[in-house]
Amino acid sequence: MATALILLPTIGAIIISLYPQENQLKTLTAIISALSLIWSLYLLKIFNLSDPTFQFTEYLSWAEPLGLSYSLGIDGLSLPLLILNSLLTIIAIYSIGEKIERQRFYYALILLINAGIAGALMASNLLLFVIFYEIELIPFYLMIAIWGGEKRGYASIKFLLYTALSGILVLAAFLGIAFLSGNGNFDYDAINTSSLSAQTKLILLTLLLVGFGIKVPLVPLHTWLPDTYVEASPAVTILLGGILAKLGTYGLIRFGFGLFPDTWALISPGLAIIGTISVLYGALAAIAQKDIKRMVAYSSIGHMGYILVAVAAGTELSLLGAVAQMISHGLILALLFHLVGIIERKAGTRDLDVLNGLMNPVRGLPLTSALLIGAGMASAGIPGLVGFIAEFIVFQGSFEAFPIPTLLCIISSGLTAVYFVILLNRTCFGKLDNKLAYYPKVLLSEKLPAFALVAIIFYLGIQPNLLTRWIEPTTNKMVAQITQTYSEIALK
Amino acid sequence: MTQLLTKLPPSTHEFADIIHRLEAGGSMLPDTPENLMQIIGIYKAYAVPMDFYWRDLLYIAERVFLEPLPFFKYFLPQEYLDLQNHYAGDNADLRIWRGTGSTHPELLEFMKKGETFSAPKLFHHLFHDRINMEFAEACMSAMYWHGRDMGMGKFDAYLDSDEYKTNADRAIRAYFKENPVMLGLYKAFPEMFLEQVRQLSYYSNLGLFWEVMAPVFFEMSDIYDEGGFKGVPDAMNFLVNGIFAIAGRPIYHHVYIDGECYEIIPKSKGFTWLYEAALPYVEAVFYRTSPFRGTKSYNAQAKQVPEEQKDFHFGILYADVFPVGTAGIPPTLLMDDMLHFLPPYLIEYYQKHCRGEDDILIQLGITFQRSMYNVTSAVIQALRTALLYPLDDQNPKHLLKNRQFFEQQMDRFKRPEARLRDIQKPEYR
Repeated sequence: MATALILLPTIGAIIISLYPQENQLKTLTAIISALSLIWSLYLLKIFNLSDPTFQFTEYLSWAEPLGLSYSLGIDGLSLPLLILNSLLTIIAIYSIGEKIERQRFYYALILLINAGIAGALMASNLLLFVIFYEIELIPFYLMIAIWGGEKRGYASIKFLLYTALSGILVLAAFLGIAFLSGNGNFDYDAINTSSLSAQTKLILLTLLLVGFGIKVPLVPLHTWLPDTYVEASPAVTILLGGILAKLGTYGLIRFGFGLFPDTWALISPGLAIIGTISVLYGALAAIAQKDIKRMVAYSSIGHMGYILVAVAAGTELSLLGAVAQMISHGLILALLFHLVGIIERKAGTRDLDVLNGLMNPVRGLPLTSALLIGAGMASAGIPGLVGFIAEFIVFQGSFEAFPIPTLLCIISSGLTAVYFVILLNRTCFGKLDNKLAYYPKVLLSEKLPAFALVAIIFYLGIQPNLLTRWIEPTTNKMVAQITQTYSEIALK
Repeated sequence: MTQLLTKLPPSTHEFADIIHRLEAGGSMLPDTPENLMQIIGIYKAYAVPMDFYWRDLLYIAERVFLEPLPFFKYFLPQEYLDLQNHYAGDNADLRIWRGTGSTHPELLEFMKKGETFSAPKLFHHLFHDRINMEFAEACMSAMYWHGRDMGMGKFDAYLDSDEYKTNADRAIRAYFKENPVMLGLYKAFPEMFLEQVRQLSYYSNLGLFWEVMAPVFFEMSDIYDEGGFKGVPDAMNFLVNGIFAIAGRPIYHHVYIDGECYEIIPKSKGFTWLYEAALPYVEAVFYRTSPFRGTKSYNAQAKQVPEEQKDFHFGILYADVFPVGTAGIPPTLLMDDMLHFLPPYLIEYYQKHCRGEDDILIQLGITFQRSMYNVTSAVIQALRTALLYPLDDQNPKHLLKNRQFFEQQMDRFKRPEARLRDIQKPEYR
């Protein structure tokens, strides 16, 4: 059942590469992604809430001497992210406004990204995870290098170097875990790191932290992000920020928090500080930007920092908040990048000093501006929207463990409002210059993805239970495990 | 050889190209078929609501007069709908338009049905599904307010004369003869009533001005439809000729109370159309006006509104036609009014550009701006004809005087907000 989420887009990518009619490629890609989304929603429907372990498990022996097996499973941690992955793929497809060159290749790569991320999220074998984790880099690299902006060559190489290094570090950590713990097995459930010395565990966890920290990214490993996000096309940015970055936080929770509970407790104060620095740095850097896409990119660094603080706190509530924040951030960031993409396509610029008066009802982009205000409010954590729910759970859950970092994060959420007010004030309000404002109309097909995201952001803001109920059993189980480890250490 | 000797060296003015064009008998608006089509199309769309404006302005000046609660001043009685234009129809004093002298048929049809559906007049009025007289009144206010300051002609000065006060006093007393309360108020605050009458004199002034302009524009539209105009200068010259043909039309203010006519400004005072209406109108409305609320946010404290009235440059020649919000602001209301009567070729043209029908109000507003640059060009050429020398004069000193006059006129468009630079480009829409 889980394989379908990898097979559907992979087969879809092959069909797209061979499909003769170019004008139907977009629709066809959207249909394949929609099927993927429907399937993941079906899995959601039949998901057993009382079972916090892997469900829909599949096992296929692959290269046993290496410890590699095709082992998949879905739990409350990966299920919401799988749905987010399928949803954002559709959004990304519809955020490609105009006709693009080599679209057959483009759409096939989008589907391969979808398959790669789904595979990584479901992999319950560490080597299989690394394979999927690395595989999706290739389509991302190609999409940035071929369809990116002016400095796409630089951005794509930087992205590739950083994320390849991330993969190498993660692989090194996994090899260390499997071989140093003595059993040579890479299956997640079979791994036990308790036999490792504290020093070894610290080294391995550090490798994982740096590896996944690049992907998140955390300050100071973030320098690839602004260049990549700015140079990538809106569709790629949605996938990069919306879901790829989540693989980093997913990896931290699944493999860092899950496999090294005792060491995690040891380094958690440091992680909370790094998270807080990311939050503050992201917010302050966003305030200083003149390019709205770069501003949103830095805002992403800040919001991903909340997740690290919450994971570092390691309480039931904070871990729940961390996963909720991953979903919330994915949705809001996708909306922001989609809207920024529309503005860039229509106005031909992302420069805050040039954009003005987009709210103008006749020649501006009034609906896009209104949606941008909504997205800004969601990102700033205004009550009634999903951003508030996720941040509130994160803050409430983390405060107990790390009061000062949490307070600094709360202050930083105020800074989010500052840079969004700057963004909205300069772009949406003021006077539209009639010498520049010959913007084309925003098409319904461009508006629809934004409507869908806004509807979900509102709905989950009012009905947060719909988001948290799937996550809670798994995160509670993980926290229970860590508590048990602490107890055992205390007894020893 | 003579031509070479008499030819002036090229102008070094910022708008040298435009000055050379004016010297060659052209307009400030470039001579292109697209510009011609746009300005003629908009003249026609402007003329239809203008047919309502002039009738209603005269109705208010002559009949509504000092009505304390003039709720129905925009509801034209049949008498004023049937009123024969003096420059159109079979009984015209000077027939400019070959069409009917009574209300234009398209206007009558619109007044009956509105844009949406047939409903009682009051509903059309409340839903603004009507001709927006507020625009006409804003123009009148601009003329009245700036008229006090411009020192142009003799009309405004006459409003302060004893003769005018005596005439107004007679009319006020006759109007309120059965209303002791209003008479008492008049006794207590005579200036307040007098000020109202002065304003009503400007209603009449503008009504009489537009009574001429409506048939001029209708005729231009008909000539264009018949293939008569070959370029923008032809259209401008038609206006110049029209200006001279009707320059002497009297400007007056009569009030009708109980069937008796009270001549507040008698025709015999000799106020004429060109000097007392057309020129003050162009100065007050095309150049100056006032910062309309809604078109742009002006901050008087930040000196964004000039202290001196003569420095006001908010007219259509400078206007930013982008409406902010959907407030019923005067320029937007004119665009709404013109929208109802656009000729099919102009609608088709707008549909092909920018956002098509979605931003048609902006597109037609900019066309209106182009057309008013052409009207202003006609006024500049008419003034040059009246005050200076022919364009083909052989005397270099005369040509230099003409050059200086044109340069002086163009100096007013050096301001950054002037749209003269913009209208030179076809992509300004």
